[in-house]
Amino acid sequence: MRKEKRTCDEMSVLMMGLMDNELSESQKAQVLKHLASCEKCAAQYKAFSNLKKETSEMKFKKLPEMYWDEYWDHVYNKLERGVAWIILSIGAILIFSYGAYEMTYEFFFDGTISLFLRIATGIFTFGIIVLTVSVLREKLMIRHIDKYRSVKR
Amino acid sequence: MKDNLYQNQITEKEIQIAEERETILACQAGNKKAYRYIVEKYKTRAYYAALMYTKNREDALDLSQEAFYRAYKAIKRFDTSRNFYTWFYKILKNICLNFIQFKKVRANSSDEFDETTMQPVDSSISRPDEIFEKSEQSEYIWRAIDSLNDNDREIIILKEFDDMSYQEIADTLNIPIGSVMSRLFYARKKLLKKLELIYA
Repeated sequence: MRKEKRTCDEMSVLMMGLMDNELSESQKAQVLKHLASCEKCAAQYKAFSNLKKETSEMKFKKLPEMYWDEYWDHVYNKLERGVAWIILSIGAILIFSYGAYEMTYEFFFDGTISLFLRIATGIFTFGIIVLTVSVLREKLMIRHIDKYRSVKR
Repeated sequence: MKDNLYQNQITEKEIQIAEERETILACQAGNKKAYRYIVEKYKTRAYYAALMYTKNREDALDLSQEAFYRAYKAIKRFDTSRNFYTWFYKILKNICLNFIQFKKVRANSSDEFDETTMQPVDSSISRPDEIFEKSEQSEYIWRAIDSLNDNDREIIILKEFDDMSYQEIADTLNIPIGSVMSRLFYARKKLLKKLELIYA
């Protein structure tokens, strides 16, 4: 009885392969032989086959042709814009860096501003830079190391 | 005669695989226009796969196009000895799941409430007529599929609607082929039970 149940359990799983045409010839023969001798499994196989037939008859709603015609253009535009964003970002970084350099130079080498204020501003700026680098580093590390970042919690 | 036909089919498939590999190599070398071959080849599958998640035509179009864009950006990391679509599908799935999550959060935080259920309005609610040609049968089956848990629904969709082979499903879900068969068995069994309830 137990052996029979085990065979039925094994065959039930293999039935999927038979239905989806994924079995080798010997496995196919094995399942077919079992189905010929087990009414319960044969009935189950019939129910699964009917279900497969019903799902295969479901027809996707067709998308109007114009959407397909424009499909590649949309993807290509995204690709082009991606490059444009990179170029724009590099430009912005260069302009910002130059501006920051000029401002820093003028501020720190301006003899009219008190030395105390210049040192304090220097320490403050250095703190912000260290903090920014640390946060960015952490974000990047998580991106590379955390395998489960896309797992829904 | 039958053998010849089989031989021809194999040769045709091999040619297609070789063509796809060459195209991907061209894309990896930075040829954006070559990517069109890949997009044209998989756009229908990608759109309908996204539609299964979003249940909305406009969102499915947007997300599938976004997935092609992100796949191109990451194409240098793609191993050309592997199946492109299963790799691409993972990107698409992540985009769709993030989008659904975002929509859920937005729906929960919005002031729009359904007057009858007093629940936040969620536009991702399944409407089979957005996905399939209208028929009573389709509606029942889709309702049953949609009420399955995420894992069961996914494997049914990959097999029945995305028409993936067991090997492709195994690659996509990172599971052995034996597990594909057993997971399909339990998912289909649950689906049959749900359908019995719906028909009853």
